[in-house]
Amino acid sequence: MAKEESSIAKTAAEMVKGLAGSYAVTLKHLFRKPITEQYPEYKKPLPARSRGRIILTVDPDGDERCVACYLCSAVCPTSCISMESRERDDGRRHAAWFRINFARCIYCGLCEEACPTLAIQLTPDFEFCKDDILKFVYEKEDLLVNHGGRNQEYNFYRHAGLSEKGEKGTHINEKPPVDVKSNMP
Amino acid sequence: MPRLVIDDLQIEVPEGTKVIEAAERLGIMIPRFCYHKALGSAGACRMCAVKFIHGPFKGLQMSCMIDAQDGMVVSTTDEEAVAFRRQVIEWLMMNHPHDCPVCDEGGQCLLQDETVSGGHGLRRYPGRKRTYHDQYLGEFIAHEMNRCIHCYRCSRFYQDFAGYRDLGPMQIANRVYFGRFRDGPLESPFAGNLVDICPTGVYTDRSSRYKARRWDLQRVPFLCIHCSLGCSTVASARYREVVRIEARFNESVNGHFICDRGRFAYPYANLADRPRRARVDGEDASLAEAVRAASGRLDQISMNAGPDAVALVASDRCSLETLAVLKRISREKGWRHPAVFPRPDLEHKTRRAVSRLDRRLAVSMRELESADFILAVGIDPVHEAPMLALALRQAFREDAGIVVMDPRPVSAPFDFDHVAIAPAEIGGCLSRITEALSALQADSAAQGKETRRPEAAGPLRADLDSRIAGIVERLRGSRNPVIVCGTDIVRDSTPDRAADLARLLLQLKARPCLFFVLPGPNSFGAVLLAESPGRSFSDVVQDIEQGKVKALLVVESDPFKNFPDRERLERALDRLDLLAAMDYLPTSVVGRAHIVLPTCTVFECGGSFINQEGRVQRVEPVHEGGIPVHQVSGGGHPPRVFSHEVPGGEIEAAWRTALEVAGYTNARDNLSILKIMAEEHPGFARCRDIPTSRSFRVLPDAGDRPPVCEETGDRAAPEAADTLEVVLVDRFFGTEELSGYSPVIQNADSEPLVFLHVRDAEPLGIAHSDWISIALEGGGLEVRAGVSAQMAEGVLVIPRHRLLEWQKLGPVPAQIPFGRISRAGKE
Repeated sequence: MAKEESSIAKTAAEMVKGLAGSYAVTLKHLFRKPITEQYPEYKKPLPARSRGRIILTVDPDGDERCVACYLCSAVCPTSCISMESRERDDGRRHAAWFRINFARCIYCGLCEEACPTLAIQLTPDFEFCKDDILKFVYEKEDLLVNHGGRNQEYNFYRHAGLSEKGEKGTHINEKPPVDVKSNMP
Repeated sequence: MPRLVIDDLQIEVPEGTKVIEAAERLGIMIPRFCYHKALGSAGACRMCAVKFIHGPFKGLQMSCMIDAQDGMVVSTTDEEAVAFRRQVIEWLMMNHPHDCPVCDEGGQCLLQDETVSGGHGLRRYPGRKRTYHDQYLGEFIAHEMNRCIHCYRCSRFYQDFAGYRDLGPMQIANRVYFGRFRDGPLESPFAGNLVDICPTGVYTDRSSRYKARRWDLQRVPFLCIHCSLGCSTVASARYREVVRIEARFNESVNGHFICDRGRFAYPYANLADRPRRARVDGEDASLAEAVRAASGRLDQISMNAGPDAVALVASDRCSLETLAVLKRISREKGWRHPAVFPRPDLEHKTRRAVSRLDRRLAVSMRELESADFILAVGIDPVHEAPMLALALRQAFREDAGIVVMDPRPVSAPFDFDHVAIAPAEIGGCLSRITEALSALQADSAAQGKETRRPEAAGPLRADLDSRIAGIVERLRGSRNPVIVCGTDIVRDSTPDRAADLARLLLQLKARPCLFFVLPGPNSFGAVLLAESPGRSFSDVVQDIEQGKVKALLVVESDPFKNFPDRERLERALDRLDLLAAMDYLPTSVVGRAHIVLPTCTVFECGGSFINQEGRVQRVEPVHEGGIPVHQVSGGGHPPRVFSHEVPGGEIEAAWRTALEVAGYTNARDNLSILKIMAEEHPGFARCRDIPTSRSFRVLPDAGDRPPVCEETGDRAAPEAADTLEVVLVDRFFGTEELSGYSPVIQNADSEPLVFLHVRDAEPLGIAHSDWISIALEGGGLEVRAGVSAQMAEGVLVIPRHRLLEWQKLGPVPAQIPFGRISRAGKE
């Protein structure tokens, strides 16, 4: 019998302790600074690498970086990127048109990872609502921005060594062209 | 037969097989750059290293340099070999530029594949990369030497295999350069193969520059329809546009390669001014309306003027399906049977050639390569059947003797004896060779004597006699002689005479020995399906002029291109009550037709064609048809609104539209067409049983006997000494119809020359590349002259070139008096 009484007392004590503990937490938070953001009145700056709306950046010369190599459209798991590559009048490879269907895009970032020229980049802009699904289809003029995105310096053509941009042998890490008609070593 | 073990698998291979080849037969692909089946081994790239564990060789060796031998045990996966190959890749990548994203080879690049499979991802070498200046190599091929890995495939193909000298290696060691001595278009008509053969992106296709990646393409095994040989290709399309043609290996036709005409002619399918909308009396209409209009008016005319007043015109670029359907509807409607050939002589020669060919006689192009003596008559191989020249070159490399009997200034990538005689003499020469050979044979059978010389028959020159005697001797001495006979410039009886000689050779050597070159991709099929005697387009024109024909249905044919008298043709067409044209090209006939029914190219609807050796080859469509996306969108982005209808997608294959015009609306599926084909010619019944990917030959076991009456209406050689005989010829570029529409070929084409012999030109004061004018009733023709000593005298060779309005000459006479030819003042 005595054993029974002591167990009831023990349980009651535990209950009081539990109640008091949680009240104490509540009481503590009453005097803390709140962390809730008043979205959309306040928009928290997101990390630069967070994955939202996609842009096409330009190189330091101000020319579009995209060379329409088709790597992003090949890697895209939802096939939301389509383009048609053409030779521009100055001999440069470019996309005649470039389209991303954001209604399909899952913002996985594989396109950015595949892009060899740093042209396609995901931005932290995640708020994406449209009243018409067709408005999610972004064309090249909607995607192009006038800056280099996260990397302002990289210029693919300085590395590629094609004569369309700069003479042979003048690009980064290149020897002067071989003179095939000379016998000098 | 050596028996060896590769990666624990045993295989027996023929003597002389390289280890790399033996492994391939087992399905083991040893990495390689320089080795190529057609070009053989070079040992230049060091990529195919494998470990030899037992046998006559030990250790690490190049598998492309070592013949498979008995008792060899080879490991391709040995650690040492794998490490070596990994090292080789890293070396090769040391100087390779970082430009894959803008390289057209990216996605189909052997170097890319093997770099990835070798696991080389990060560049460890910090030094600078070697660079080269690039060259302008013509309109077809872009050059980017920085990418070169020095496998020597290009120079081995270009110089050794194809036999041209203007591209090759320069410099030594790490500085080796592949190119021409100075910038300029590549001379070889097979240069396009450099694109296929280069393991990386040094040579890329300019016509498809930057257009697509391999993985995005709709690729279909395809067939070349730009001459009668029917080479195998791979056609690629993207966004409803054909973007690339590549060579496809075919054991019995073209081997590994194709010519530049076959490779770069495809843009005709992408033309912006291709007929895409049906038209009735100049007004756009839907296809169904136009079909109804055509059907109604044709029926009306056959009711009023009799069914004989409706004539059909087709051409040898029509598929077998179209020709079979046209035959069917012409028979059932009572209309005139389709006229396929522009001239009666061409029809006659093709018919004779086809009827004389049989299973025992016909040689395929690949078999031709193993001949040891070739007599080519009435053919300029590079211009009439380009891949034939490459096949002859392979025979030449195996020490075959080649004699070309042709009036033209023939140039080819092999050494040959040129017997430059006028077309009229060719048949006579062949007959004399046959007679001499059979006489010798009879003599040696009877008495064992072999000394009888062929007798001079007829008024031929003495030097010709000795050359004929030489040919007879060489034919006798050879194991495997082949007679190649053209059908374009020769006289009507020449194909028969070539076949007679081939029959005799078959008796003597017991080997197939006859190879005809026909006028077009489906000439063989046209003749099989033709009624006998066939009618040519010139008969149709005559009947129009006499008022017997009131309506013309022209199916995939352009009489303006081939008919030798443009004004007469225009007058005749103006007399017609109805001119209906079905075509996929913006031809002159389409421009003047009352009713235009656009059709699909072979890229959009596939089709069957029979090549010159009777091989039926069928292809599936590459894409579904419709106007290319970039034409719909005007270069910008495609329409944003989804639609079930493809712009320009209502167009159908010519045979379907033709069936509809004739009123057969329920027989338009693929099964019925096979049935129609089988009914029209029993040889095509096999099309139903054999998959599209396989070809078969429709040749009889024994061909026609020689015609009983040898008398044919051959035109005689010009009698008068003061005239030149006109020979109209084909050229590599510019005369073939489809490729003439290709902008890239138009840019690459050179100016057409009219050739005449030095001794004919001297009295007229004409030197090479002078402008001359040829005055005739129908007007004058101003053209640059080519003067050559390597051609027949008394002959004026005029190419039927697109830029040369030879049709304006009026009825081209067989002979032109010297007085009509003069130097023109033009410079």
